[in-house]
Amino acid sequence: MGSAFEDLQAVLKKLPGLGYRSAERLALHLLVERPERLNALVEALRRAAEDIRRCRLCGGMAEEELCPVCSDSHRDASVVCVVEQVVDLMALERSSAYRGLYHVLHGKLSPISGVGPEDLNLASLGERLRSGDVRELVLALPNDVEGEATCHYITENIAGEGVAVSRIGFGLPSGGGVFYADPVTLKSALDSRRSYS
Amino acid sequence: MILRDVTLQNFRNVAEARLVFEGRRHFFVGANGQGKTNLLEALGYLTALRSFRTAENRLLVREGQPEAAAAYTFEHERFGRTRVTLRIGSRGNRTVHWDDERVSRLGDIIGRFPTVVFSADDIQLVRGAPGLRRRWMDLLFSAVDSAYFQVLQQYHRGLTARNALLRERAGAAELSAFEREMAGPASRLGKAREAGLRELNVSLEKAYRHLGGEDAAALLELRKPGSAAQAPEEWIERWCEGRDRDRQAGATQAGPHRDDLHFGLEGRSLARYGSEGQQRSFVIALRLAQADYVRAGTGLLPPLLLDDVTAELDGGRRERFWALVAGEAQVFATGVMRPELGDDAWRFCRVAGGTFAWESRIASGECGIRTAQ
Repeated sequence: MGSAFEDLQAVLKKLPGLGYRSAERLALHLLVERPERLNALVEALRRAAEDIRRCRLCGGMAEEELCPVCSDSHRDASVVCVVEQVVDLMALERSSAYRGLYHVLHGKLSPISGVGPEDLNLASLGERLRSGDVRELVLALPNDVEGEATCHYITENIAGEGVAVSRIGFGLPSGGGVFYADPVTLKSALDSRRSYS
Repeated sequence: MILRDVTLQNFRNVAEARLVFEGRRHFFVGANGQGKTNLLEALGYLTALRSFRTAENRLLVREGQPEAAAAYTFEHERFGRTRVTLRIGSRGNRTVHWDDERVSRLGDIIGRFPTVVFSADDIQLVRGAPGLRRRWMDLLFSAVDSAYFQVLQQYHRGLTARNALLRERAGAAELSAFEREMAGPASRLGKAREAGLRELNVSLEKAYRHLGGEDAAALLELRKPGSAAQAPEEWIERWCEGRDRDRQAGATQAGPHRDDLHFGLEGRSLARYGSEGQQRSFVIALRLAQADYVRAGTGLLPPLLLDDVTAELDGGRRERFWALVAGEAQVFATGVMRPELGDDAWRFCRVAGGTFAWESRIASGECGIRTAQ
């Protein structure tokens, strides 16, 4: 055990996006420069730790048993979009383009990092599908090898008959042209072209 | 593509040198260890943004210096007169400027300034392990077709995942998920390799007949150990059938990563039955075919970098070799001795202790070695 300051710095450094120097800066900021902010932070962390949990249904972030999306009766409960992380759910929500429900896996199959099906939020997806309410599964996992393999796994082992499975499209970003796109993106954009008439 | 000039600074044993290349054929003469190969290494570096001798970039920096630099002026089929500056730090970090603009994605450079290196070590392509031949093939096809490189990467990511699953004794469902991801790339790699080899073989056979001075058919063939497949579904089936065997081996036993290139001469194995001279001629013909392939695939004429290749050839082959490379391409050759080249288009340069001195030609009067300002 180091000093209280060193311990705080060590804990901060473990957070994503923070290196040794930024951790030191944050610690100094809270303890020396603006100590009045410390209590508010401690209180916010305590409350969040107590109140925030995984949504029983989708595995997203919730303060009740169900997350705001799952408890919203206006959403289309027959469509479920499978995403890798909570941040992906948030990004899709910001788009306001999707009115169905979600399912967050909290990862993707990655044998190299030792992540297998039992480490993902897959069992509850199976239960949701067996309940018979879901007609369509939208796979919004990344299109790298591990994301695609996870899609195969879900299609073959989780989604039973009677559920239509679709894959989110990959291609050019909106407002962007062909010129700045990298070759891989252009290839998937061409592969997923559609008739225009 | 024609290299007009190059300036080197603290590159290997070259403290500072500026070389202006007039004409198309240049021969660098000097004793061993004077810097001939170092020069070729610098000339070939931009091809794949790596040295043909070492993967360790920091070795290219002259001892005790903070960085090595090389500046090139090209006459380029696509970009016209264009200038590229390369800097390599003593920790191996690299920056490239292209016409005074910093290249942010170094990968963008790869394949745009192709050269073909001929080295005495090329004989290892015949005698060495299959991995060497596969690597040569993959580098060549990737340089001409970036899609090939992407498919190769995709395949290898899937393969690494499957191998990890085999070692963990994971279940069939997980293996199947990754096998499906490997199948498309495996099938595309197989087709691309077959097509590439067909094209290479046309040039190879011609070059070998010229160089070897014998009417023998040289041929590259893809050999697929284990049970090879073609269509994606066939690969899925093979991997599924092979799971027990693969689990025991702890690695995937069938797939494009096991392909080998068979070098054949008149239908017989070159490695097993070929004479020294035949093997040497074959790899030189292979490099010439590589140059043709790059030209056909990219529209760029790659300069040839010949690192003391004729030392092991007999008189007849040597003569035919010099006649063969005296084509359109720019040629940079090295040797301990000044060879009989039988054509006066060559310019000679003496290399000693990292300095270069052109032998002046009558009425030329130009002295190539100038210290850069």
